[in-house]
Amino acid sequence: MKLSQHYTRTSVYISLTVLVIGAVIYYFAISYIGKQQLDRALQQQLTEAEEYIRSNKGDPQQYDLDRDHAVFVKTNAQLPFTRRFFDTTYFNPKEQKREAGRAVEDLVKLGESNYKVVITVSRTDQKHLIELISVITLALLVGLLAVLFVTNKYMLNGLWKPFQLTLNEIKQFNIADVDQFQGKPSKVDEFTELNEAIREMSLRVNHDYLSLKQFTENASHEMMTPLAVVTTKLDTLIQDETLSAAQLGQIADIYSSVNKSSRLNQSLLLLSKLENKMVNEEEVISVEKVIETKIFQFHELLQNKEITIEHTLTPRQIKASKYLVDILLNNLFSNAIRHNVPGGRVLIDLTVNQLSVKNTGTAIALNTQQIFERFQKGKDSQGTGLGLTLVKNICQLYGYSIQYEYEPGWHKFVVTF
Amino acid sequence: MKILVIEDERGLRENITSYLNVDGNICESCNALTPALQKLSDYDYDCILLDIGLPDGEGFGVLEYLSSSQKNEAVLIISARNSLDDKLKGLNIGADDYLTKPFHLAELKARLMAIHRRKAFNTGNKLVFNEISIDMQGRTVEINQTPITLTRKEYDMLLYFIANKGKVISKNAIAEHLWGDEMDMYDSFDFIYTHIKNLRKKILEAGGKDYLQSIYGMGYKFTD
Repeated sequence: MKLSQHYTRTSVYISLTVLVIGAVIYYFAISYIGKQQLDRALQQQLTEAEEYIRSNKGDPQQYDLDRDHAVFVKTNAQLPFTRRFFDTTYFNPKEQKREAGRAVEDLVKLGESNYKVVITVSRTDQKHLIELISVITLALLVGLLAVLFVTNKYMLNGLWKPFQLTLNEIKQFNIADVDQFQGKPSKVDEFTELNEAIREMSLRVNHDYLSLKQFTENASHEMMTPLAVVTTKLDTLIQDETLSAAQLGQIADIYSSVNKSSRLNQSLLLLSKLENKMVNEEEVISVEKVIETKIFQFHELLQNKEITIEHTLTPRQIKASKYLVDILLNNLFSNAIRHNVPGGRVLIDLTVNQLSVKNTGTAIALNTQQIFERFQKGKDSQGTGLGLTLVKNICQLYGYSIQYEYEPGWHKFVVTF
Repeated sequence: MKILVIEDERGLRENITSYLNVDGNICESCNALTPALQKLSDYDYDCILLDIGLPDGEGFGVLEYLSSSQKNEAVLIISARNSLDDKLKGLNIGADDYLTKPFHLAELKARLMAIHRRKAFNTGNKLVFNEISIDMQGRTVEINQTPITLTRKEYDMLLYFIANKGKVISKNAIAEHLWGDEMDMYDSFDFIYTHIKNLRKKILEAGGKDYLQSIYGMGYKFTD
């Protein structure tokens, strides 16, 4: 759920609760005040009535002959009498109907006799007032909630816009691009601070990455010179005619190891170049022609293992670096030959959309998850363990996909252009 | 042939110098850009071996100097950098070939001979070694005026051996020369034997001498 939704939901709940409780308290408070007012009015009328009776000394009912709001009844009750206010209904002669009223009951002394007096006033006006206030309050409440909802929905989204922009920039962040996080300026301090923090972080990450990259490259380069020294020293050493066969055997092993480390080094360098997209030279290449050349180059190897090669080549041109295409095909072809069985077959199929290299081999499928990882190789493999990683990275560079498929007895690599 | 080796790594410089200092070649060396430019302004050389990464500047400076003073030395760049950019840059501003470290001395010498031949005698030249005569342009070989047909690999191999005559060449070096980076060495050793056997047979059948000597477990030597 989005933050704004969370916020809207919480704020609507809280507002609703507070407003409902407030409305209830408000209602009771107003009712109470209204009653107090009526009671004061009744008290006033009572005092007036008592004064009237005392001065006239006649039938107290003369005060209100039509008995519409004051009723005097002779009673035997004695003083002290507790004055009592209560809600009631009475007949309003003007409106000709019964209405809600508020009444006061008291004892009035006229000469020797006691009269119980009940004075009633209409409560309708007050009820109307409370109703009106309630309706206005309710309308306000609904209005407030609506405004709150709309504000949260639209204004909050607007407020969060800089955040969305920053987020998009982070999503597009590529470690190899130098200083590319800009961060749109925002009026909101928090977002400005966030942008600054991310910018600083990206610069630091870029810097670390660059120095690491530089290190890898320099290390690989620096390694080449000592390797060259070893190679040339060996080349000089073998000129010595007194060396025994055993010593020469040892030297041959050193040659192989030096050779392997220099190949490894070159592959690592190339990988780091690919990962940094530092291979730029592109030209139009006819894949079918390159494949034909490759088949010719590998024919000795094929003959040696008595492997037959079959190919169907549809002309297909791509725009890529010749050097990288060479490496890609070399790796696919030499794998297909190296991991083949004597007397096996290699099928090469080039269509407009894809190139597939299929070879007979062991009856066990390779681990699709791992084969493209660095230094993953079969235990009998003499390679560097970087061949397929190079293949994958070259494919990635040009937006091709590479897939491995296994059919019983057949291993197949498919490059989809 | 007069050669100048410009290389800052002592081990490498010494080995190259001693390997090349045969057959009447004069090989001098220096370890930085400034003494190299000094030597080049004082003397003339046939070939220059040039390292790009020098302590006092990039070796490209030598190429710039050569082209500005209209000198015609053949230049072979030896560099630890395998980048295509450097290669193209070097070749564009006057280098004749480019060799990436690590390399075999035999390869270095063969390349050096090749660019020297190209520069010194243009192309229509014949390389003669005793009874073997090689037409570099037509890529044909005659032994005692009898033409023999060599495959491309056998022809490359013969040139390679003649350039390095008298030296033991390891199978690794031969494999790298013939197949480059395409194949791992262990794949190609078997084929070397086949190619050598065929080459020797063809030379012998045409009445040539057996120059190819096998060094057990290591490689071959082309001896006079």
